Amino acid sequence: MIYLKLILCVFTLLTFNLTAAFSSALAQNTSVQDDAPREKTFNAESFLLGNGMQVVLIPNHRAPVITHMVWYKAGAADEPDGISGIAHFMEHLMFKGSGDLGPGEFSKKVRSLGGNDNAFTSQDYTAYYQSISKDELETVMRMEADRMRDLSPPEEHVTSERQVIIEERRQRIDNNPAALLGEQASSALYLNHPYSDPVIGWKHEMEELSRNDALAWHSRHYAPNNAILIISGDVTLDELKPLAEDIYGSIPSRATPPRRWSTLAPRNAEQRLTLAHPDVQQPQISIALTIPNITDDKQTALAMDILSEIAGGGPTSRLYTSLVVDQKLASSAGFRANTYTRGPGKASLYATPLPGTSPENIITALKAELEKLATKGVTEQEVADAKTRLQDAAILSRDSLTGPAMIFGYGLMSGETIDDIEYWPYDIEALTLNTINQAAATWLSAESLSERQPVISILLPQATPEDK
Amino acid sequence: MLNLKKTVFFFVIALALNAPFTAHAKPVLDIKEITSERGLKAWLVEDHSVPVISLTFGFKGAGAINDPDEKQGLARLLSNTMDEGAGDLDSQSFQKRLRDLSIALSFSSARDNFSGELKTLTKNKDEAVRLMHLALTEPRFDEEPLERMRAANMARVRSSLADPNWINARLFNDVLYGDHPYAQNSGGSLTSLAAISRDDLIAKHKTLSKDKLVIAAAGDITEAELAEIIDTLFAGLPETAAQGSFTESPSIKDSAVFVYERDVPQSFLRIAWPGIDRADPDYQAAQVFNFIFGGSGFGSRLTDVIREQNGLTYGIYSYFQDYDYADHLVVSTSTKNESAAQMLSLIKQVAANITAAPVTDKELQDAKTYMINALPLTLTSTDQIAGTLLSLQFDERPIDYLDQRQAAIEALTPEHIQTVGQRILNTPSLSVLVGKPELTTSVIPLTELPNVD
Repeated sequence: MIYLKLILCVFTLLTFNLTAAFSSALAQNTSVQDDAPREKTFNAESFLLGNGMQVVLIPNHRAPVITHMVWYKAGAADEPDGISGIAHFMEHLMFKGSGDLGPGEFSKKVRSLGGNDNAFTSQDYTAYYQSISKDELETVMRMEADRMRDLSPPEEHVTSERQVIIEERRQRIDNNPAALLGEQASSALYLNHPYSDPVIGWKHEMEELSRNDALAWHSRHYAPNNAILIISGDVTLDELKPLAEDIYGSIPSRATPPRRWSTLAPRNAEQRLTLAHPDVQQPQISIALTIPNITDDKQTALAMDILSEIAGGGPTSRLYTSLVVDQKLASSAGFRANTYTRGPGKASLYATPLPGTSPENIITALKAELEKLATKGVTEQEVADAKTRLQDAAILSRDSLTGPAMIFGYGLMSGETIDDIEYWPYDIEALTLNTINQAAATWLSAESLSERQPVISILLPQATPEDK
Repeated sequence: MLNLKKTVFFFVIALALNAPFTAHAKPVLDIKEITSERGLKAWLVEDHSVPVISLTFGFKGAGAINDPDEKQGLARLLSNTMDEGAGDLDSQSFQKRLRDLSIALSFSSARDNFSGELKTLTKNKDEAVRLMHLALTEPRFDEEPLERMRAANMARVRSSLADPNWINARLFNDVLYGDHPYAQNSGGSLTSLAAISRDDLIAKHKTLSKDKLVIAAAGDITEAELAEIIDTLFAGLPETAAQGSFTESPSIKDSAVFVYERDVPQSFLRIAWPGIDRADPDYQAAQVFNFIFGGSGFGSRLTDVIREQNGLTYGIYSYFQDYDYADHLVVSTSTKNESAAQMLSLIKQVAANITAAPVTDKELQDAKTYMINALPLTLTSTDQIAGTLLSLQFDERPIDYLDQRQAAIEALTPEHIQTVGQRILNTPSLSVLVGKPELTTSVIPLTELPNVD
């Protein structure tokens, strides 16, 4: 819930982590013969309960512990007009009483059994998890199932928790000029799309969120057939199956509303958002644009993973080398693409200007890098190196209990299949230089952006009389 | 950059022992101490289930505490530049080699200690060791990367000036530690970062000597392989180097509330009381006390009253800020400016309640179970395990400390928790707020932001 780290920032957090998470989804050995059997990355197993709930098990027997997660296919983008923030508010209220547990007792009980728990909300989903000794798996499954079935938050706790989410908003957004600007930029970028509203909600609408809004949200979306159970850790399919069937399988399925979101409208004008704020001393510049997501266009999305690796983060990436090392315009710079979303994918370029570099210089330099990527493409060697790094990341991703469960959650929620995740390395390996450069040309060239004009965010100090 | 203090802090709150509360059959971790041919010692947990090795090491006492006041940030800048070119590899060549082989190699500087971390796939282990050895023994400190790292640190300082929590930390350290080096900004100020020269880095680098060295590893490596690797890795380091001498930081004389005014909707608050040193017989009791008071987040007294019952904040935590020469219990939180007075008075009330009567048997039992059973959750990756082994050695704990600690926690009584709570909380405290808090008590205004410009 509600803890600072994992939560909600949801969208930002996700955008940030997705590529990395998926980079992790890589296999060890991709240079195989055409007819050789393909090796899975995680060896996950999956089955469907009678009520339609999907179960995924990622075995990990290093320590006698498990991570148990339930992901609901309902996020901020599913919110009706006028109650922005209800998905995230629901996430908080799930800790306010269910089954035999009174308000606040869920997490206390998990702690008392030696476990940790939390939850997080994004535009696409809401997820709950506990990490705990394998001996307590059944207990946490029963607790989680109880609050899927039914919720009973007392009115006074709804009222106090509403103050908590508003404090959360103050802490994350209102006290933070960069976050305020980011919120405005998303609102501009996702024209006519629900991603244009922040996951945490607009403050004036959050203030009006009611217990009834929350309960309606719960009954509309929190059905077993609208959820995926993901378990990573020291348990076998034979142990898990009867438990899942008994505990989650006994919850009746319900019709849930179709997820029909309004779709992106053409962005015919480039937009520049400038926030000059008295608390800001270090300018920041970013350029954002929409791209296809993994289910719109899988080849393009995979190509974007490679392109981010080459152009993106890290001290030897193209953007850093160009803007920071060679041109000495910025103290940091990068590029990232996130296509593992149910709604539009997003690509962004960003830089922190050195003193004396104007925002205009940075924007010009970033656009030049984008255009170079789109028109000149990347090299065979760059692609080969990037593929190796992504494959290595797969092995490294297995050195974790919760990481693989997160990778499956992100992937399945964006519309991928289990096989897409297991065999992602093979899909990456199969990408040709031509496919990658074609994707760059088609989606990143200045020409291609005529109806997907970028949003440029400029964070600045407030001008003073003797302004530099 | 890995923040070692954070590791230690996490370790302290989440640390527990053997899995089932009562069973002692198996140690928490099967830690082996190995000794190399040249006499270096290292702690190791072997695990061959994933072809990954984490190796971490530290130089005890070589951290930011040694930074001269006018060059604060020196240890940090050293940690940023040691991996920016070494031997015959310049910055970009060195970093490209790391990236091409997926080797994570970095250095980090905490208040007291200076550390290095290496994580690699088994197949690239030899090259990883060679590169780390180069970085340790032949860093180039070339002008280009040095200026780049200096600029990045200055940008970080300027960016942080928009963060009330960061501003609070600068003021809090200044008020709490006074003339002690802990008052400094370990990330450097704009002036001090500009003043650090290549010669300063070279001199600071020479203080990383074998007599301060502790080593830990976990993952896909055998005892014999590790013994060989560490002799290669640390060959050429000085045997000894001078070490600064320090005194304990000043104690809190009188309670006071300091306010730094800032036009933000939410005030950020830190409060400090004296803490309990890790060598103190009350140390385990203090850890459990903290868990119940505010360390656990949900379920703690502070979260219950201030967040759950009154909706005043998104988060309130207590934690021990344990350094070699200072120990404090800190409460950290934020609330809208209008609620600041209520926040302070509720914290006071929670503190009064927890010292007025023993904690309940259930609270204590739950805390014990958590601190014991949750430990394996913090030991699920090789870097977490190696980090824990390193912390234990920094703290000069015995190799079976994790097992010993279980017995110590199990033996605690509600009365002992109350007594240690009184020892901590029935003393003067210092509070620092950043924002426009509406307060009814008298405050000391702060107008200067120290160790920033």
